[in-house]
Amino acid sequence: MGLTYRRRLLIVLISIVVLSAGGLLIKRLLLPKSFGVYGPYRADAIAEAALVPIRHGTNASCLKCHPYEAKIHKKGRHQAISCEFCHGTFADHVTDGKKSGTLPVKKEKEITTLCLRCHNTEIKARHEEVIKTVAMPDHLKNQNVKLTNNCNQCHHVHAPLKYINRAKQITGMMEAGL
Amino acid sequence: MKRRSFIKQVLNGSIAGSLYLVWPMSANSLDVPEQIPGIRGKEYDSLNREFAFIVDITRCIGCGSCCVADKREYDVPEGNYRTWVERYVKGFSDTIYVDSPHGGLDGYQTPRSDIKEKVRDTFFVPKLCNMCKEAPCVQVCPVGATFKSPDGFVLVDEKRCVGCSYCIQACPYSVRFLHPKKKVADKCTWCYQRVRKGLLPACVQVCPTHARKFGSMKDETSEVYQILKGPGVLTVLRKEMGTYPALYYKGARREVI
Repeated sequence: MGLTYRRRLLIVLISIVVLSAGGLLIKRLLLPKSFGVYGPYRADAIAEAALVPIRHGTNASCLKCHPYEAKIHKKGRHQAISCEFCHGTFADHVTDGKKSGTLPVKKEKEITTLCLRCHNTEIKARHEEVIKTVAMPDHLKNQNVKLTNNCNQCHHVHAPLKYINRAKQITGMMEAGL
Repeated sequence: MKRRSFIKQVLNGSIAGSLYLVWPMSANSLDVPEQIPGIRGKEYDSLNREFAFIVDITRCIGCGSCCVADKREYDVPEGNYRTWVERYVKGFSDTIYVDSPHGGLDGYQTPRSDIKEKVRDTFFVPKLCNMCKEAPCVQVCPVGATFKSPDGFVLVDEKRCVGCSYCIQACPYSVRFLHPKKKVADKCTWCYQRVRKGLLPACVQVCPTHARKFGSMKDETSEVYQILKGPGVLTVLRKEMGTYPALYYKGARREVI
């Protein structure tokens, strides 16, 4: 039994329509919503990326509740240093505007290690115009202090020259230019 | 609709609307000053935003603050780094020695002891996502999980990524890694969620010497706009790859790749 030309043509046309409709349906089912708004990706993913929780605040968020530290920190040479680098993140300390955890305080040798991350002449890569560096233990020897001393025994960690300058004022060394 | 119910609905709507404006601010404790001007308080039109990142190598002291901040912000798994700091040592024989112990997370406390020749220069190079305009990672992703958003950020759609690692191989800067827990590709996002809230990326925010600079290119008063407009020499990494990064380096020697 042979099909007529018209019938064959009809079968071909119907299968084209059915296949393309099926293809479009499958595409719609498989592709996620918002795919292709800006390009071949899910546009909603941009909004989702903006919703990732923030863990670091700013210095302003810390100093708001710590006025004593704020007063010293803002005046000192370390004013550009982020609170959170030394102390830990804002999110570990405050949740929904309330204190939720205590940040550990660095002690003794940890302080010296922390200071030497930046103020270390040994590395020979830190430009004097960017940061003042010292070599250990030469610095301790030159200042005639015990070699076991930690940095914070002479330098206030928030304002490193606070005590040094005060001592120089009292002893008159400032005027003498020493 | 009755007049009474209409008024009720309008009132409810306005109360809910005003709460919606106030609520997210107090919940996130984001009542801190804006760091990138012109983002808060208006609708974010991603088609009309552009950002640039500049790393000033002459100011980087290799303290690793940025690496620590990055690890804390995203809880990056051990052994993977979204950003890291490399130490370049150049000898007088023009040999380059590069190392990055623990990605610079512990800082650089001691000089390199294994170099026999006289050292000509030592410097630090922070590395992070280059946010290429022609990103190879976006081109190769088979499922459309990595994309370039209209505001210029190359991001990863975690829900769509199948973890095939193709993008990790494609990235010329090796900034991508397979997250061992989530089993999806992960990378530096220039802290997209912070930028959208008007805050600087975490690494920029903690940098003590202001070696990392970030800002809007649509704001003519921003520092990065002024630097890119000015005559100073800026370079990008692997220019020959034709990726057109939005991350620029200031003061980078030609050995830096």
